[in-house]
Amino acid sequence: MSGGSARSLAKGSAPPGPVPEGLIRVYSMRFCPFAQRTLLVLKAKGIRHEIININLKNKPEWFFKKNPFGLVPVLENSQGQLIYDSAITCEYLDEEYPGKKLLPDDPYEKACQKMVFELFSKVLTNKKTTFFGGNSLSMIDYLIWPWFEWLEVLELNDCVDHTPKLKLWMAAMREDPAVSALLTEPKALRGFFNLYLQNSPEACDYGL
Amino acid sequence: MRFCPYAHRTRLVLRAKGIRHEVININLRNKPEWYYTKHPFGQIPVLENSKCQLIYESVIACEYLDDAYPGRKLYPYDPYERARQKMLLELFCKVPHLTKECLVALRCGRKCADLKLALRQEFCNLEEILGYQNTIFFGGDCISMIDYLFWPWFERLDVYGIADCLNHTPALRLWTAAMKQDPTVCALLIDKNIFLGFLNLYFQNNPDAFDYGLTC
Repeated sequence: MSGGSARSLAKGSAPPGPVPEGLIRVYSMRFCPFAQRTLLVLKAKGIRHEIININLKNKPEWFFKKNPFGLVPVLENSQGQLIYDSAITCEYLDEEYPGKKLLPDDPYEKACQKMVFELFSKVLTNKKTTFFGGNSLSMIDYLIWPWFEWLEVLELNDCVDHTPKLKLWMAAMREDPAVSALLTEPKALRGFFNLYLQNSPEACDYGL
Repeated sequence: MRFCPYAHRTRLVLRAKGIRHEVININLRNKPEWYYTKHPFGQIPVLENSKCQLIYESVIACEYLDDAYPGRKLYPYDPYERARQKMLLELFCKVPHLTKECLVALRCGRKCADLKLALRQEFCNLEEILGYQNTIFFGGDCISMIDYLFWPWFERLDVYGIADCLNHTPALRLWTAAMKQDPTVCALLIDKNIFLGFLNLYFQNNPDAFDYGLTC
């Protein structure tokens, strides 16, 4: 399994060759949360795969032949079959490959997981209004904001192609007096997070 | 609700698979309070079984029925073919919104040339798929889940007054003709006059719109 740390392919790059037998290829980007879904499933199921990272800010022309929407993740197998959309790739892998099933067998339990996912996706895409509660900022935006501040700090927000409305929301939130007054310095958050992961009792006082 | 395209999907699958079911129609303009215990936002369709399990979101409900009930499988067995049908659904995702916007614009006396253009573009994308596959239906030479998931909006093009959006898509027209031959689609076809009666009352904000055409 290779390629996770490889430089991304950009405009002008040569298209990759066919996928070798016994391997599945995933077109990805190191900081994309949607692509990370697919990588998680590949890992969890122990599926042999290779990773090709795509420069999402300067996409290779050939990439639109892999996915007309030009988004990652995309799976390509040795038969040249292409599967895109993060949720569809994950379900495909679960169905196609043996080993531990990640989706439940029971039809109702499976449907429940899909219903929760739909609700979560609605939060992510926030189609209708500028803020989550309507056209002005309200409680729900404050309740959700902390996790998105975290996403930015942990550099997981680079997939702006997927969710331009979310990017607009985040920008709007940053202009709110309460949000901007309490914005944590990215270095501090990162510092805290590192110590926290090491179970250090100093984590909570990082920077003081 | 008898005229809802999303609920129509679920009723098509129930019929296609021969699943015994009962239908409870909800007045969407005046929802019973208890209905919010079935769906947090009071939307339809919702399935409820004898174990009191609730399933909502039309696509999820349709897949649940295909998984849970025996007999004819509407989704293919092959994982790649299943994934293909789900990717096709993504290609379709702007159609419901555009058709509804056209309907509302026309009913409110507004022009909708831009909307119709956008809808035609979506239809062109679907036309390309049929051309590339060279099959009658979206899943192959036989009708399958994806066709039923698309159908309700195509059935409504005429009664919404936008059937001319299919003018430049011959394969799609062939597909709608083939769909109208399907016994399941046929059995659930909504009478045009009744649909128009519903639409007239609906746009007058008449709370009895949903029951238009019922004699009892």
